[in-house]
Amino acid sequence: MSAQDIILSSGTSELTPAAQVRRKLSKVAKLFDATKCSGCKACQVSCSEWNDLRAPVGSFQGSYQNPMDLSSECWTLMKYNEIEQDNKLRWNFTHSACMHCADPACLTACSTKGAIVQRANGVVDFESDKCTGCGYCVSACPFNVPRLDPIDQKAYKCSMCSDRLQVGQEPACVKSCVTGALKYGTREDMLFIADLRIKELHKQGFTKAGLYSPEGVGGTGMMMILHDVSQPENYGLPADPKTSVPVKLWQDVVKPLGTAGILATVAVACLHRITVGRNIVEEDEPAAFDHTHSDKSDKE
Amino acid sequence: MHKQNMILRHKLFDRICHWFVVAAGLVTFLTGFAFFFPSFQWLGSIAGTPQMARFVHPIAGLLMCLPLMLMLVRYYHHNKWEKNDLTWMLAIKDVMFENEDKIPAIGHYNPGQKVLFRTFVVTSIGLTITGFMMWQPYFAPHFAAITIQWAILIHAICAVIMLIFVIVHFWMATWVEGSVAGMLYGYVSRAWCKKHHPNMLNDPELKTNKQEKH
Repeated sequence: MSAQDIILSSGTSELTPAAQVRRKLSKVAKLFDATKCSGCKACQVSCSEWNDLRAPVGSFQGSYQNPMDLSSECWTLMKYNEIEQDNKLRWNFTHSACMHCADPACLTACSTKGAIVQRANGVVDFESDKCTGCGYCVSACPFNVPRLDPIDQKAYKCSMCSDRLQVGQEPACVKSCVTGALKYGTREDMLFIADLRIKELHKQGFTKAGLYSPEGVGGTGMMMILHDVSQPENYGLPADPKTSVPVKLWQDVVKPLGTAGILATVAVACLHRITVGRNIVEEDEPAAFDHTHSDKSDKE
Repeated sequence: MHKQNMILRHKLFDRICHWFVVAAGLVTFLTGFAFFFPSFQWLGSIAGTPQMARFVHPIAGLLMCLPLMLMLVRYYHHNKWEKNDLTWMLAIKDVMFENEDKIPAIGHYNPGQKVLFRTFVVTSIGLTITGFMMWQPYFAPHFAAITIQWAILIHAICAVIMLIFVIVHFWMATWVEGSVAGMLYGYVSRAWCKKHHPNMLNDPELKTNKQEKH
């Protein structure tokens, strides 16, 4: 990937921005239509195929969902959210993977320069060789996506198959989707398609159907059409995801204030030393040396 | 050191504790700086690589905080707040500008040093608790994500406060000449005591190297 494709890099500030002249490149997006998904897991399997990931085989947990959670070796998971409505059980399928936020909390929280980047096409990517394993991204992500690997202690997540995108292909999950629930293209096109589909759903009687691309994170690079967008919790999604208060306070308040405090203390100390000068004791006793080599004991 | 009538200010155990804290603290702060200011990741190179810095930081941090707790036990009685301390605090300007005749007499530690010591104790307790909460991969997985985020914030605040007090500590120790030698070798001169900690000379347990000669 070209270094000029990185428009946002972790561990940098407005003072040292990433190369971003290509920021006007079209943003891409994945569109997941929960109303079309049949839960076949083709996306999950093709993700593991393309990215060479083999999560350990787990045990039966009373759900079709397997494994039960995302991990460093499972970047895309078909979630079988079991919802009871009007005494009937319903499956709310969620294609669970990185949301590729426009304002990614993981990138904001990252402790290492360039370990998390946002590419010109909007994809949020982890540069695993630079990752130190601090886990800040893991706790910061409002969607609980990145995971530390238990062996190499580095964080991993869906890269939207950025290697495939680079050569003009769609992500592996989209390629393998059999019902057309997953689509890929420019974000603008996906918004257009979503709009048509939602209008159609409204006509069919799904009056609460809508697009999930929360504004709190600046919109996402994976958008979802849900039967009932007013209750994203039913799909295991947060209602109002955003970069949390402590992460913002830490980056925007504690860092600049702390820097100012440290520099001010050093400045006052230096100024004090130069103006007040040395603080020396005038010895009132003659500097007589005790040649008896006193075996003083200070060991207590 | 071989001057007669030197007064024992820091016992051997406390001196070893102090310099152990300094060494561990240096590694902790340099590696911690690397995470706080990613642009200064090179400061963490004292541990080798960034990944190594991440691994070493919590261990070095514990090695810094635990001996400090020992020092809390050892120096507890010296750091109690006394009546005279308020007048000293109010005369802080005279202390800083060396108006010696106006500085109220104080004992083993002046109130400034007491505040400093207490800050080190409080921040190191804060750093240890929050540090455990964010320690990957051993302890962090046991805490909720939002709890870890607050821990990271409090950890950073404690670290900045501690660093500012470390700077003040270094500044004062190098300014008041004889202090560093006192912490290195244990002894200070009688004149030094008279000038900086006059009430120390009234201490019934005062030890000089003369008296120590058995």
